[in-house]
Amino acid sequence: MEKTYSICPFCGCGCSFYLITEGKRVVGVDPSPLHPVNKGMLCIKGWNSYEFINSPERLTSPLVRKNGKLVETDWEEALRIVSSRLKEIKDSYGPNSLGFLSSAKATNEENFLLMKMARAAFKTNNVDHCARLCHSSTVAGLALTFGSGAMTNSIDEVEGADVLFITGTNTTAQHPLIGTRMINAKEKGAKLILMDPREIPLAQFADIHLQQNVGTDVAVLNGMMNIIIEEDMYDKEFVESRTEGFDKLKSVVSRYTPRAVEIISGVSAGALETAARMYARADKAMLVYAMGITQHTTGTDNVKTCANLAMLCGNIGRPSTGVNPLRGQNNVQGACDMGALPNVYSGYQSVADQGIRKKFEAAWKVENLDEKPGLTITEMMMAAQKGDIKAMYIMGENPAMSDPDSSHIELALSNLDFLVVQDIFLSQTAALADVVLPAASFAERMGTYTNTERRVQLSHKAIDPPGLAKADWEIICKISSLSGYSMHYDSPAEIMSEINSLTPSYGGITYSRLEKGFGLQWPCPNEDHPGTPILHKDKFTKGLGTFLPCDFQPLAEAPDDEYDFLLTTGRIYYHYHTGTMTRRTSVLEREAPHARLEINPEDAKKLGIQNNDMVEVVSRRGAMRARAEVTTTVPRKVVFSTFHFVESPVNMLTNPAYDPIAKIPEFKGCAVKIRRVA
Amino acid sequence: MKSIRKGRLVSVLSHWAERFRLFAPVRGIKGECTFSNFQKQNFDLDYKKPNLPPKSAFMPQSEIIFEVEKNRYREVMNGHKTMLFGIRACDAAGLLQFASFMSRDREDIYYKSRTDETITVVMACDGPQNETCFCTTTKSGPYVEKGFDLQFYDMGNTFLIEAGSPQGEALLSEKAFLDVDDPKAAKQIGRFKEKASRAIPVKEAVKKAMDLLKESRASEDVWGQLGKKCIACGGCVYVCPTCTCFNVYDEVSGPGRGNRVRAWDTCLYGGFTREASGHNPRPDQPSRLKRRHEHKLLYYNKDDVLDMLCGCVGCGRCSDYCPVHIGTLEVVKAIAG
Repeated sequence: MEKTYSICPFCGCGCSFYLITEGKRVVGVDPSPLHPVNKGMLCIKGWNSYEFINSPERLTSPLVRKNGKLVETDWEEALRIVSSRLKEIKDSYGPNSLGFLSSAKATNEENFLLMKMARAAFKTNNVDHCARLCHSSTVAGLALTFGSGAMTNSIDEVEGADVLFITGTNTTAQHPLIGTRMINAKEKGAKLILMDPREIPLAQFADIHLQQNVGTDVAVLNGMMNIIIEEDMYDKEFVESRTEGFDKLKSVVSRYTPRAVEIISGVSAGALETAARMYARADKAMLVYAMGITQHTTGTDNVKTCANLAMLCGNIGRPSTGVNPLRGQNNVQGACDMGALPNVYSGYQSVADQGIRKKFEAAWKVENLDEKPGLTITEMMMAAQKGDIKAMYIMGENPAMSDPDSSHIELALSNLDFLVVQDIFLSQTAALADVVLPAASFAERMGTYTNTERRVQLSHKAIDPPGLAKADWEIICKISSLSGYSMHYDSPAEIMSEINSLTPSYGGITYSRLEKGFGLQWPCPNEDHPGTPILHKDKFTKGLGTFLPCDFQPLAEAPDDEYDFLLTTGRIYYHYHTGTMTRRTSVLEREAPHARLEINPEDAKKLGIQNNDMVEVVSRRGAMRARAEVTTTVPRKVVFSTFHFVESPVNMLTNPAYDPIAKIPEFKGCAVKIRRVA
Repeated sequence: MKSIRKGRLVSVLSHWAERFRLFAPVRGIKGECTFSNFQKQNFDLDYKKPNLPPKSAFMPQSEIIFEVEKNRYREVMNGHKTMLFGIRACDAAGLLQFASFMSRDREDIYYKSRTDETITVVMACDGPQNETCFCTTTKSGPYVEKGFDLQFYDMGNTFLIEAGSPQGEALLSEKAFLDVDDPKAAKQIGRFKEKASRAIPVKEAVKKAMDLLKESRASEDVWGQLGKKCIACGGCVYVCPTCTCFNVYDEVSGPGRGNRVRAWDTCLYGGFTREASGHNPRPDQPSRLKRRHEHKLLYYNKDDVLDMLCGCVGCGRCSDYCPVHIGTLEVVKAIAG
């Protein structure tokens, strides 16, 4: 019974546990009792996170497509094909005919290397990852208002808040060790304001539930700010000394009278006033949000508006306040930090800045790094469909399931001349690939992950990868070197040294420090710096905070006479994203063996649908079937489903229309029609 | 009766580690103490109450119970000479209840193969390890009367050691163990036990709640109130020394090839009681929570709990590690009012 310190591979909470091994097998987990996030606790996914590691369906050998079929091969052939095909395509069509998708499941070191390979070896900024689909609007919106696009405060501060403003996050399901703190805060006397179109479990604890129409967040938040300004409840001192642009804010939000907001959002004037007063009068009010805010064509507007509200009431820079986006994956924060984004290097250093480029060119011993930002995932997929992107390298992502309008994603990927997928399972995306490279799971490699509160944590290797599988960083080094750009590291620690030297916010986050404690929260510029639990304490990262008021814009695709329901998507407690891991975990699969479509009892009755009936859901882009869950969780004319189940791929339906700044698609609302099929 | 100077303990354990798979408290680089393979340099006596009970030594969170190859199956038994060093009385009591359940109707051969040659060394508590300890209420601590091979009593610079079996007695033949004057040692141990027991106050709410449940006078509202905040993590079951439930699943590698695995399960998961028809006799979290706690406090099997109070051994871990504070202590408090 060996125990190896590790970080949970699921959500952004960043809980830690010891992996228990017997021989070559991980047999269980022992939660870290002193860890500041989980304190000896885990959620159902964390407790059961050992099982998929041992799955016989793990990829154990490289695969290449021969005569239309993926067949096993050795590393030598697989690597030769990958490096030569990528080089050929680059030479024939230019560097920007290549696209790289990095992974929020891979370590910081691996994300850093993938973006380095894209930029230094293949000279393209076409590198992105799934944060595009979850929090790109956070990164953009908070960078514009505060100067730093990350959670401002820390998880353990939730229980200290006087008011929690929770919106667009089903926290007990998606970030359970944060959701439970919200319940505890309520029991300790905090007030809970919930703004969510669905009656999620936290609604039972909410002092007030603003059940707004899907996609009307800006209107509701503007309405709250209007009341707060009208009733003179805002923090004048904070606004004057720490912010700019108040007059503009005031003039925009003044249009959002309670009556106007009620018409747009369905939230009653009385409820809006109660919520506004509750938030404004609190000494410490903590705003927490997730995909309900970000996954809209107005995602960046939604984020900016959340930031406006917090600044207006001086809820920034103190314990148990702030604007707190909850990151969905164990390392989605880190993948962003490492510059697996088309416009920045690690630490959000712009590719357009000549000085920054020179720094990276000198360190990487290359010339002419591309100064133009590359394509986002959403743009890469369109470019692939048009034939402008010829080859893609996808590490640990499953866009065929996770991206909107998946039939178009599949067309785009099939249209490529060459597709490489590096993963631990033969995902739906890997099944389309020309070469599949078998990767190590979290238990089989060393490296760091950055959780939602910016805590960088070191996870250790418990067992060897199965068969021929290798850690992502080792694979990247080999491909880069074979492609003509030599990359050699003895260990992830050596990669981290390079990250330290090139990334100011990670400057002091070294392996020797991480080994001892429970991680360090960036910014941590040097080895003596203790890390930063709370951002923007005395001043904002960008100096003054900027109010950037927005006007309400409706959903890109509202229901109409034909497609008369609004479909909103999300996740459930028992499964994780496209299900590659959790659907291979027997207890989790038993808890939720198939997709459900939540539908309101009145709507169900009208359509003759009973609980568990199979229904067909059709949008302008595709159709899927799922079993009905007749429930008052959803209001009238709204249905909800999840993207975990390949049998019921909800992203066949979703709308790829995206936010103009962040390019995040509108997963949270599209028009559908529904009928009972059995 | 024997004694050993604390300074000699590590070298004795090092000897034992050559003969046994030795689990002992080990302090890692993060400063956390967990029960793990004995390591000379990281062995630590200041471990209070380990966060997981020792049941995982005998029923790991998951284990292969048989392997299938070419349609033939082969049972997998994992017998090792194992020593648990330093477990607490509540955990030793938990192992007794666990073992009784695993052999009551029929022998669980996988469990038995792991426990057969086990040596249990109990470290008697000199008081509560933290505020959730209530073993004096459940009659399962702070020391044990049976179910141990050796029991250590901390006397400052030395441990007094009581042998509970011939195997235990045999272990004390090493030179490091010194003979002590039996009547004097017995007196010292008597004082230790008395002081330790006094230091862990009896929680009357446990008995009161048990009575109310027995007389069907407990408020049903309790389950709704607590159940609505339960997130069904399963943690209370996983950290419970007496919870035995497991799930069985197959790892299918190909036709006629694979492993059958059993893994910890919990009655707090909906699928645990869901029937093939889809009907679930425990349809919601309140009813599952009620079932779990009534199993400990009301419907426990008399044979399994031996002469203890009930199916709970008072370790308090469910109170320590429930993210929303629904441990036995909170439940009995809610019931008893």
